[in-house]
Amino acid sequence: MNRTLEHILPRVQKPARYTGGEYNAVMKDRSQVDIRVALCFPDTYEIGMSNLGIRILYGVMNEMDRVWCERVFAPWGDMEAEMRREGIPLYGLESGDSIADFDVIGFSLGYEMSYTNVLNMLDLAGLPLRSEDRDGLSPLVIAGGTCAFNPEPLAPFIDIFSLGEGEDVTVELIELCRKAKEECWTKEELLIAAAQIPGLYVPSLYEVEYKEDGTIASITPTHGAPAVVTKRIVQDLDKAYFPTKTIVPSTEIVHDRVMLEVFRGCIRGCRFCQAGYAYRPVRCKKPETLVKQGIESCQNSGYQEMTLSSLSTSDYRRLLDLCDGLQEWCDPNGVSLSLPSLRADNFSWSLMERLQHGRKSGLTFAPEAGTQRLRDVINKNVTEEDILNFCRTAFAGGWSTVKLYFMLGLPTETDEDVLGIADLADKVYRVWREVTPNRARGVKITVSTAFFVPKPHTAFQWEGQITREEYERRVKLLREHMRGRSTVYHWHEADTSVLEAVLARGDRRLADLLECVWHKGAKLDTWNEYFSYDRWVEAMEECGIDPAFYACRQRDKDEILPWSITSTGVSPRFLWRERERAYEGVITPDCRQQCTGCGADKLYPNGVCDAEC
Amino acid sequence: MTTHRLAFSKVDTAKFISHLDLMRTFQRAFLRAGLAIKHTEGFNPHAFVSIPLPLSVGYSSACEVLECQLLGEVDLDTVPERLNAVLPEGILVHRCYEAQRPVKELCFVNYIVTLEYESGAPFGVDTDIQELLGRESLVVRKRSKKAKSGFTEVDLIPLIARTSIEERRDVVCLDLVLRAQNPGLNPELILNAIREELPEAAPDFVTFHRRAVLDDSFQIWE
Repeated sequence: MNRTLEHILPRVQKPARYTGGEYNAVMKDRSQVDIRVALCFPDTYEIGMSNLGIRILYGVMNEMDRVWCERVFAPWGDMEAEMRREGIPLYGLESGDSIADFDVIGFSLGYEMSYTNVLNMLDLAGLPLRSEDRDGLSPLVIAGGTCAFNPEPLAPFIDIFSLGEGEDVTVELIELCRKAKEECWTKEELLIAAAQIPGLYVPSLYEVEYKEDGTIASITPTHGAPAVVTKRIVQDLDKAYFPTKTIVPSTEIVHDRVMLEVFRGCIRGCRFCQAGYAYRPVRCKKPETLVKQGIESCQNSGYQEMTLSSLSTSDYRRLLDLCDGLQEWCDPNGVSLSLPSLRADNFSWSLMERLQHGRKSGLTFAPEAGTQRLRDVINKNVTEEDILNFCRTAFAGGWSTVKLYFMLGLPTETDEDVLGIADLADKVYRVWREVTPNRARGVKITVSTAFFVPKPHTAFQWEGQITREEYERRVKLLREHMRGRSTVYHWHEADTSVLEAVLARGDRRLADLLECVWHKGAKLDTWNEYFSYDRWVEAMEECGIDPAFYACRQRDKDEILPWSITSTGVSPRFLWRERERAYEGVITPDCRQQCTGCGADKLYPNGVCDAEC
Repeated sequence: MTTHRLAFSKVDTAKFISHLDLMRTFQRAFLRAGLAIKHTEGFNPHAFVSIPLPLSVGYSSACEVLECQLLGEVDLDTVPERLNAVLPEGILVHRCYEAQRPVKELCFVNYIVTLEYESGAPFGVDTDIQELLGRESLVVRKRSKKAKSGFTEVDLIPLIARTSIEERRDVVCLDLVLRAQNPGLNPELILNAIREELPEAAPDFVTFHRRAVLDDSFQIWE
């Protein structure tokens, strides 16, 4: 280990985050590799190591010949201060080498509030923040993940964005980098060539012009770059790489268990949900594949917990087969299996009972809105009856903790909808009174509301976010009507939701804001210890940016949206139709009942969405 | 039922794995190695392991001990190899054996504490420290969870069994034998005393290494 590092680690919290050396970390001989990749997650080790995407890409790249991919996370403030003081640049956890000397630096963008960490990490690496100030062929700074579907706020900092699933395109891009390096291309030559690979968006090859009112007049591709970059997907998940021999952190992380990805995409079409649209079409793995991968993952890691991961696990057609197959091995081997992301309308209690082994942990689900009318608007397709029946069975079976998640500020929401949340909580309480076998034990109903953030590539991408004042009024209204000592109400603070709304649908001009707020010290903005709303307000004022323009403004149908150069495969025409149906309060059937022609099936030849597995 | 012990070292990057994380690491390593060990009972059964003398984060050690109960027929001589294949970097199991002596006979720990000075060790530091540790009594304040003030006082001298100090160009090595338990002495407290009483001898950096665990006649305990 580096001597300076050894000297500073005893002074920082949780030093095991910064040492590498975990079981299954991939070590390679520097002289035997010609492409070095830094896979960066712009948040702490505990968060980043819990991300399945990071683990998949790490495995995919390290399986490549002569490529060494290492992990990099955002250091906590104490470590950052020590690193800056001692002059230690940001390093790869495996080798300890400075990532400024690597060929590729890749960021995974999962949430908008991590953007300042991207800038801070580039700076900690000793690199210029802006793409145009980094002349050399390396390091090439790339980024992918859900937020890449609106890449614009980060466009001036990132050389190449990768849209959609990275398993295949990452390999293609690395091969291109290798060729460029061998043939001594310029950075510009590499960027122009990269833009020809499907799924890669090179922001510097596009010119954006604005109208006087601040909206976009035109986005013009140059150097032969495509007008729209469509995301990449993996077609056959049974054959795709899955990390069954993955790193076991030596210190506790957030999701410290085996994560088994059951399927990608979602058959539902909740109109607010970016993941639901952006990860289409639904592609699943066979239970046989999953059982094999699940067992291997446990054996190779020593984990005694496994969780099934997907956007809506109870929509997996062969869930019972899968659970049977897994339990047959898990039970005798002392491995517990958990199933998050279940829906109230198609939930199997016998399955739940079996998995819980008599344990009654809390139940969580998300009606999202308080009235049937509003649930129809957002196409949640869960009825009050579903919810109450679900609770009835749960309470009768001895459960006594329920968490209900909602959003405030959904399009068309009225005070009646807000109060509907309190009503629903009350009805849940009455159901408990009616059916519980043990009233003395009491019940705990937790209601949480988040502040709705309209996201790109959803049916609500044109909507304005309600103002902070209005949101706070609705929170107050709901708080005043929440009855009973058994119900606890939590609500999100408005600050980050407002900023998220600005960044989620921002354009390139927000890059100045990000740089400005970073200069003022913004980093680790998802952490209360570091987040400062005032700092953002100050920076917005300095940069002349009106947050309402991005967050609260209602967009016209014909407005050129900043993210219109990216496509998830779901057509904007379809999204607009969904928006109209939302305002009519008409629900759209899920993909299993009827194809509604979103366009995602065209992402692969002879594509069949949600094929039987 | 037989209790088994592992003798292992913890160095390099593994120095920074905390006690609780180390227990988790071993629990998982046993499963990876296909070695069945006794589990706790209850809703969340987990592999039962215990480490009698927890090591502070950042300390290296050549003489750690972990207790567990291996189930079934296992050739103990193969255990180190099987575990080493699945342990993180810096943890090396040397031996697996059946426990004979009780943990309470583990009386002393031999530490090597290395004081590093960027611009060379100050003149006479070794004798100063020798004198300090040779006093009749050396009372220091120590954090305490029990005391209301959050601090308690402890006299170091009765807890120090042997001291030998060697000065080299830019380091001073303290070879200390300290009481292990009931009560034990963390060498960090000796460092605090040096910083307090001999400010000129305060090092720029210190490393702590556990070299051996000993019984009451200063023989290796295992």
